[in-house]
Amino acid sequence: MTETLLRHTAVLNSAHTLLTPSWSDRQHIDLISEAVTRALKGTSLGINDIDFVIDSGSDFLDGRSISNCGFLGAMGAHHKEESRVEEDGLWSLMYGANKIASGAASVGLIIAYSKPSESDVDAFWTSLLEPFIQRPVGLDQRSAAGLYAQRYLAAAGLGADDLRSVSEHAWAAAARNAGVDVSELPTDDAFWNDDFATPLRRSDLSRPVDGAVAILISNAEVAASATSRPIWITGMGSAIDQHFLAAREPDTFPACEVAAKSAYRMAGGIGPADIDLAEVSATSTVGELMVLEAVGLAEKHHGIDLYRDPDQSRINPSGGALPADPIMATGLVRLHEAASRLGGRPGVEATDARTALVHGAGGFGMQNHCVITLEVNS
Amino acid sequence: MKGETMTTTDAPTASDEMESLAAQLRMPYTLTPGWATGIFLAELGRHRLIGSRHGDTISVPAQDFSGTSGEPTEGLVEVAPVGALQGFTTTADGTLGLVLIDGTDIPMIHRLLDFDSETLQIGARVEAVWSDKPVGSMLDLAGFALASSSESFSPRAVPGDLLPPVLQVDYSMTLDYQHAYGPYYGTLFNAVKYDRRLRGVTCTKCARVLLPPRAMCDVCFAPTSQWVDIDAVGTVQASSIVHIEFIGQRMKPPYVYSEIVLDGTSTRLIHMIGDVDAEDAKTAATPGARVRAVWSDRRTGSLTDIDYFKLIP
Repeated sequence: MTETLLRHTAVLNSAHTLLTPSWSDRQHIDLISEAVTRALKGTSLGINDIDFVIDSGSDFLDGRSISNCGFLGAMGAHHKEESRVEEDGLWSLMYGANKIASGAASVGLIIAYSKPSESDVDAFWTSLLEPFIQRPVGLDQRSAAGLYAQRYLAAAGLGADDLRSVSEHAWAAAARNAGVDVSELPTDDAFWNDDFATPLRRSDLSRPVDGAVAILISNAEVAASATSRPIWITGMGSAIDQHFLAAREPDTFPACEVAAKSAYRMAGGIGPADIDLAEVSATSTVGELMVLEAVGLAEKHHGIDLYRDPDQSRINPSGGALPADPIMATGLVRLHEAASRLGGRPGVEATDARTALVHGAGGFGMQNHCVITLEVNS
Repeated sequence: MKGETMTTTDAPTASDEMESLAAQLRMPYTLTPGWATGIFLAELGRHRLIGSRHGDTISVPAQDFSGTSGEPTEGLVEVAPVGALQGFTTTADGTLGLVLIDGTDIPMIHRLLDFDSETLQIGARVEAVWSDKPVGSMLDLAGFALASSSESFSPRAVPGDLLPPVLQVDYSMTLDYQHAYGPYYGTLFNAVKYDRRLRGVTCTKCARVLLPPRAMCDVCFAPTSQWVDIDAVGTVQASSIVHIEFIGQRMKPPYVYSEIVLDGTSTRLIHMIGDVDAEDAKTAATPGARVRAVWSDRRTGSLTDIDYFKLIP
């Protein structure tokens, strides 16, 4: 067991609503209060024990400015310290863990929410682009993924058909995951075979879903009394790449590598060989491979090897972000999925994994990356 | 409902409920491209591509600062409007390519025009296609097509007649939303539309009646349960007489904006008091004044179905 600064911060519990393409009969606040209520349930803590709330969402997606102000009640944040992070919820978790590690607070609630079904997701992604050079020519999230894919596949000596093992693993795992609205592997031929953003098909792009997630974190003292199986946050790191897509590396995510190295270093000098389980976020199959390579779980251009065994459960056992991408909450959902498994919580497949790596991405074309490492007592 | 201010009924069934609210955000912007990008945009109208020098790297479109070091550019250069295709992708909206302009080090992304599956190849030589009607935007360069000649030149000093930068790009963003009401707002607005009443819900802990209704009490974070019918009659808690005009007003100033506590509720409703002279309102629409809703002929299922509240003499 490594002794690190951040061994002082633990994940006590977490929960998310069903992740589904459209919660057409629920508002944001309905989803948020469900996630928060379920995250508190079964713990000895109540809303009055929460020192602060940090949350992630997008004003553009939510269709209102500073949307967290309207969600305070549902988040349990009345008369509490509350901050909004306009990035994936994993950045909120990093912020909250730093507050606790610094001794400034004991218990925090980290929340992320998303209802992409209420707006135009393509317009949301395009709104992230600088408006002078990149936006006018029609660059969007799909074409960004296509441009990465063409160059990555050529460099790795792969074809578009090879990517099917990545999306099949994701959708099959999601079908086993009660938290994701997928009952079986999609059978639609066009989904798997029709060009969408060449060389990618629809099955290579993540599916936006609605949902909310809440994570309860605390210091070691509270964790000792609140849970018999705290999940320790051992390392954290984040890094951002250039904004101009054309100026970035064509087939790697160097910022993701920096984020992972930072997390490994903070966790006491561990490395990818020490990771039992990984939950990573990506908006495309090629993005997922590039993340796995950047965090060191595969050699450059060999991420696909991790999917040779269709039954592998080390990478994205939840299904990952491809079948369920609650934009702005995707990385925090990954943390919930990893913590559920490390904690041996009911409803998830049993595992002997003791360590996990969690990754979240943000920005246009996965510009920004956050990596968290977790560990549970043996 | 006459003669009663509060009754309790069952929640309507889901099939009665209104489902979503159409909303639109329109954001006008006057964007400032800055010096280097502004010159790049201005020069497109003269069919010239302007790049910027950053150490050993030449970047086009021209940038004020290096994307990697953050250092300011060492100066501008003119580059040939021709290059080679480094990558491309086709979506339902067309084909975009990564074009490496001759003599530069960072590709640019733009539209590929008039390619077919035979000509769309990595390494293809391409040339700029210019818009007939330049307006000072990126699309003054319409895109790239297959090169028709082998003409090119190395990056060179900018021409002496370089245009000043485009100072401002007008831009407008329109975003459409379909917001779900959810079970609580749906129940409220359904009652407004069809029954001309409001509906609150009771906190199981503090017993306050909350309007608009919600799943959890904001203050206690306890679940709510009991629905309460609310007649649109209440007491003014505070008022402000609005004299200024602004976008989105429903009444012409001056008018009275008030916080009203409806009978039987514990929350405050913001609405207008009408049918009163602005001067008289200073003394009549004060805290404690009693008001009753004047319902509109419209049935939209929103609080605008109440035209205004009227003072009860």
